[in-house]
Amino acid sequence: MGELVAVNGAVDLRVDLGRGLVLPNPILVASGTFGYGIEYGDVVDVDRLGGICCKGTTLKPRIGNPTPRVTETPGGMLNSIGLQNPGVDAVIAKYSHTWATWRVPMIVNVAGESVEDYVEVARRLDGVPGVAAIELNISCPNVGAGGLQFAIDAGAAGEVTAAVRAATDLPLLVKLSPNVADIRPIAKAIEAAGADALTAINTLSGIAVGPGRTRPLLGNTYGGLSGPAVKPVALRVVFEASQAVGIPVIAIGGVTDLSDVLDFLAVGAVAVQVGTAIFADPTLPVRLVDELEAECGRRGLADYTSLIGTALPKRPGAPSVKGVEYRP
Amino acid sequence: MRLTTAELVESREILPGQWLQSFHAPELASGSRAGQFVHVRPGDISGMVLRRPFSLNTTDAATGIVTIHFRVIGRGTDFFTRLRPGDTIDMLGPLGRPFEVDPRSQHLLLVAGGLGMAGVRMLADEALRDGRQVTLLFGAASAREVYPSNLLPDEVEYVVATDDGSLGHRGYVTELVRDYEAWADQAFACGPVGMLKVLAGQAAGRRERLGVAKLGRKRGAGKGDATGSPAARRKSFLQVSMEQNMGCAVGACLGCVVMAASGPPLRVCREGPVFAAEELDWESSWR
Repeated sequence: MGELVAVNGAVDLRVDLGRGLVLPNPILVASGTFGYGIEYGDVVDVDRLGGICCKGTTLKPRIGNPTPRVTETPGGMLNSIGLQNPGVDAVIAKYSHTWATWRVPMIVNVAGESVEDYVEVARRLDGVPGVAAIELNISCPNVGAGGLQFAIDAGAAGEVTAAVRAATDLPLLVKLSPNVADIRPIAKAIEAAGADALTAINTLSGIAVGPGRTRPLLGNTYGGLSGPAVKPVALRVVFEASQAVGIPVIAIGGVTDLSDVLDFLAVGAVAVQVGTAIFADPTLPVRLVDELEAECGRRGLADYTSLIGTALPKRPGAPSVKGVEYRP
Repeated sequence: MRLTTAELVESREILPGQWLQSFHAPELASGSRAGQFVHVRPGDISGMVLRRPFSLNTTDAATGIVTIHFRVIGRGTDFFTRLRPGDTIDMLGPLGRPFEVDPRSQHLLLVAGGLGMAGVRMLADEALRDGRQVTLLFGAASAREVYPSNLLPDEVEYVVATDDGSLGHRGYVTELVRDYEAWADQAFACGPVGMLKVLAGQAAGRRERLGVAKLGRKRGAGKGDATGSPAARRKSFLQVSMEQNMGCAVGACLGCVVMAASGPPLRVCREGPVFAAEELDWESSWR
């Protein structure tokens, strides 16, 4: 990215993720919060965004989890949608023609229950006009391996990444789960398996208690926590992952204003995804693009690359043996 | 659908814990239909990340005023009660799909349980404006929770049931429906799911009870209209307005679904909040 130069004196916000994927700017919208890009209609000019990660897409249609599926929590929300989606073929048939007319890169978020699922979805997306990249949601149970999530095991995460890598030429982003003891070996395994970028973080597992306190509130008991409440966790994961790997890291987790964006850049992210905050303010992501550009202008920067990694240690610290929380 | 800045004009507690608020929002007041809703952002207070959905209770295109009616159930609704005239809030709307009245329907039966009044209130205005007759059956736990009749148009026949018999019929509002099902050309309901489920059962058996099942091309017998289309809903005897915990309110997050009679779950915010009763699976264990 360093060699990109300012265009006509304006601030260059482009993000080169490799394999031909150049985002027009580093403000994306996160999977599950922006549907397939069409839902907000005229309220959001999607072509101003840096990228759109669409709703999680699986091989077969899924009806999703029982309701209630969402609830607000202090500084955040829990969701357990359960990957309701019409299946990859229907997604392609219904939306890809529209996506192909957009300038904004459409990144299809892919989920599965087995390595074969992921591979087949990736294969079907390969070469589809309008599909710019794949983001793997590996926080799904590997049904064939006792239901253990791919994302919590470096071996499984590397295996599914490598298999998808072999099945498609599309740029491949892999989304990290924060629900692990140490993100670094997992991030490294995904990098070694051929991913082009990491996105971090997926939601944190949590529950809420229902009315009358007779049962958990969500129909699926467990939900994923998102919103400002998870930002410190996301900062920590990005901080660790960006030092552990050489590929770009895209941050997700509680972005609600420009200072959040700058924080994530400072801990090594090259871009951010806005998620939960869209529900309160659909116009936020586009505004952040303008605000980031203005901020760079104020600082006299031709691009924003000098904002990246400013809060990282000058030299990587020695790997801790005491667990990430206790690292000095 | 658009983002609108709405200015609070009037706010009052019409029943214990229940508020009626008027906002100046001309675009919503002139561009909305009964059954649609707005997604309202609580102020920028720490901790609240979601908007709150409210049915449009009334709209007045001439004055640009829309009203919402809600019960204080948490921090978000409490926030709204603290707004003062002149304060502005951010409304996204109108959202969702409206009630569909068959042009031939002269007699509309509205059924509301508690806060469900907010879901059907506006339809009374629309129906009267179009020259129809409206009977509104209302159910509440007791007299102190009964929606004030002076907030309804004079032309509405207003029939009340209370669980404890402190006003009107003693029992559930659904027990009143039999008296009106022959009179009604169509029914529109909003309230607790249990109430709606009983109404759906009553609606399903209505034609047989009234002996119109074999009359051929009667309402509901039409062919060719896709399930869920406005045309299909217009032919349905019972339309219900559903409630569900909501995230985006535009169809993006799939948080607010209800189980469909067939096919994938339906989004309350997009395919709803109004559905024809027969579109939904009333036996679903989903809450």
